[in-house]
Amino acid sequence: MTRLAHRAARRRLGAWLLAAAGCALLGAAPCAAEAQAGAASLERSVKAAFLYKFLGYAEFPASAFADANAPVVIGVVGADEMAAELSRIVAGRSVDNRAVLVKTLREGEAPAGVHLLFVAGADSARVARVLKAAQPSPILLVTESENGLQLGSVINFKIVDERVRFDVSLDAADKNNIKLSSRLLTVANHVQKGAP
Amino acid sequence: MHRPPFPFLLAAALCRAAAAAQQPDPSLVDFSLEQLSEIVVTSVSRQETRLADAPASIYLISGAEIRRSGATTLPEALRLAPNLQVARSDTRTYAITARGFSSTLENKLLVLIDGRSVYSPLFSGVFWDMQDVVMDDIERIEVISGPGATIWGANAVNGVINIITRAAKDSQGGLLSLGAGEQSRNGSARYGGTLAGGHYRVYAMADQYGDTFSEAGQRQDTGWHRSQAGFRADWDASQEQAVTLSGDSYQGMLGQVRGPDIRIGGANLVGRYTRKLDNDADLRLQAYLDHTERDQPNTGAQRLDTLDLEAQQGLRLGDHQLEWGGGYRHTRDRVQNGPLLRFTPAERILRWSNVFAQDELALRPGLRLTAGLKLEHNIYTGVETLPSLRLAWSPDSSRLVWGAAARTVRAPSRIDRDLYLANPAPSAGAPAYLIAGGPDFESETARVFELGYRSQPAAALSYSATLFYSQYDKLRTLEALPDGAVFSNMGEGRAYGIETWARWQPARNWRLSAGAVWQDIDTHLKPGSLDASGSAGLATNDPHCYWSLRSAHDLGAHVQADFGLRYVGSLPQPAVPAYYELDARLAWQLWRNMELALVGQNLLHRSHAEFGSAGTRQVFDRALSLQLAVRL
Repeated sequence: MTRLAHRAARRRLGAWLLAAAGCALLGAAPCAAEAQAGAASLERSVKAAFLYKFLGYAEFPASAFADANAPVVIGVVGADEMAAELSRIVAGRSVDNRAVLVKTLREGEAPAGVHLLFVAGADSARVARVLKAAQPSPILLVTESENGLQLGSVINFKIVDERVRFDVSLDAADKNNIKLSSRLLTVANHVQKGAP
Repeated sequence: MHRPPFPFLLAAALCRAAAAAQQPDPSLVDFSLEQLSEIVVTSVSRQETRLADAPASIYLISGAEIRRSGATTLPEALRLAPNLQVARSDTRTYAITARGFSSTLENKLLVLIDGRSVYSPLFSGVFWDMQDVVMDDIERIEVISGPGATIWGANAVNGVINIITRAAKDSQGGLLSLGAGEQSRNGSARYGGTLAGGHYRVYAMADQYGDTFSEAGQRQDTGWHRSQAGFRADWDASQEQAVTLSGDSYQGMLGQVRGPDIRIGGANLVGRYTRKLDNDADLRLQAYLDHTERDQPNTGAQRLDTLDLEAQQGLRLGDHQLEWGGGYRHTRDRVQNGPLLRFTPAERILRWSNVFAQDELALRPGLRLTAGLKLEHNIYTGVETLPSLRLAWSPDSSRLVWGAAARTVRAPSRIDRDLYLANPAPSAGAPAYLIAGGPDFESETARVFELGYRSQPAAALSYSATLFYSQYDKLRTLEALPDGAVFSNMGEGRAYGIETWARWQPARNWRLSAGAVWQDIDTHLKPGSLDASGSAGLATNDPHCYWSLRSAHDLGAHVQADFGLRYVGSLPQPAVPAYYELDARLAWQLWRNMELALVGQNLLHRSHAEFGSAGTRQVFDRALSLQLAVRL
């Protein structure tokens, strides 16, 4: 390349870097701050909406409730923001004429009275510990760990094609005495029938 | 020469649009299960997290990015990596490289498809016109620019491309995909189901591409068609171990400008076993068989059979994370010599064996030192030593500063040693041959130093910058001797530059990415060299600068709009003018399981050239195509 063309290439690169810097200074800072909240929470919001909706497609044994008016309880382990979001969206809503309560649980805390337990995070050792402590009882276990179903979860969230999808283990549901509606299974990304 | 600062105008316009794109939250609880499943949620962070720790210049092309680009072939999909130079020479031939040394016989890049190496030991490069993958089944492509020899071995000099397909359980159900344009037709069908406690998918695909024209307006018979079928099955029911078995079989006819069509074919079978051991240890075993055939009338025919075995173990010992392993590859290369191009011996057994160990040591919180060494043996030069040293410091979870030093080699290939290209017009006094392999040809070597910084200052913004400096020695030259020209190692050189890219999500439904590389590749001859590579078409040809800007926009739940603008600086020798081009894709989700897309390529100009000598080089036209995808 000639020296002249070389210099032109440098100039073009310069223009590009300047543009990038300009963009960052003028536009990106405020945009990014706003988008940070949006992008980070969208996945959480969609999952929270799913958790609430799962209650409507799951049938718990009568023994899971103290009486006909007892609320449905969602327990959340390891994601206080998710619990806050859930509390916000279930406020004033009911499932099968039962109020919905959200409970934040610490790891190691017994999920007494919980109907749907969401274990946040990808750390499979931790998820395994929490799931183990929760079994066997009529709890709909939901995880978001890569091998959630193998760890004994009933429903496991995963990102497929940039969307929140979920896999279902029918065996785990049976084991926990939960019936899942066929409607839920048709939307599932994958339904696992045999032993995991 | 003065160009308007186009990037600036574009960036400014995009920045302004970003503010307008913010939308209030609809109440997600009122969405149906199906609607919730269709909301695009991926943030910049997720794409980057897995590799955010790697102390290397690594870019990840996600499967979704590939689908949204409208690319129907691997080389076109690789244009999405800001750290790769992709130049199309004809309808099926590409010069693809990182950090310079671009040539259609590029030989310093390693390419793997699901762990199977697809580089040809004939010339240490990749026949891009023989590689197909169903685009929808690609999970991601990892593009590492810079040396990767300590893990991947000789030939990973300037980069590694790792094409990874989805697990069978992530490609369940049916998928029918059809595409048609003025120039091209393609179709693929895939079905995934369960099998004996695991999952499988089977697929078949066919592609066809028409002839193009040279710059001088002559029709060039380089159109092609290929068909391929294959499968993948995974058994990973238990958490402790997993087995994967996959295979492909393909055939095709590729047009060539002079002479009848090239006939290609091949098949491969890959088996992989991974097992988690106690104490954070794991074991990975892999074996594959690969057969390829390429019958190029007027040139020669090659049949290649490869058996490859690899074993790798990871261990955690206190502050040390140790990876070690070894591999063996056995290849039978049979060449049916043509009238002019001959290989001596025509049939050759090629063997490579290697052992490696790499230790990652946590010096203190946030500071990691990785030291590795691979010893690789090949039949031409014996044992090659491939060491690397990397230091990474992450002051917090969103920033990483890293540095690396490595030595890599490009081991001799068949053409470097065994080639004999006879003189078509022998006469008294004229050389008996045009080009011959050098009996003393050694490995080309590189010492590479890198310094990188990656940051994610906000969830929606991340960027990366890498400075590199490489010293090359014993580069291949073609020495003109009285009997003819012989390959030798009389070149040397250095390359330096900066690779940068950024991803930014200004709004929930809008993502931007940009990348730019500025580089200076300087090679020269050692004293006494009479190099004739240039006249033999073997010289490399690199731009000083190339950049790209991409936008992915979801317009409501059912429409996607994608734009990709790229600039490639001028190439010096043979001179190719700089060019800008724009690709666009508009997709409509017609039904829950049906998507129709209109794809436009090279929209800015009627036609443009990317590689080769003025006049004879091929030009690529503005092209429109329709793509339909149906999920069953």
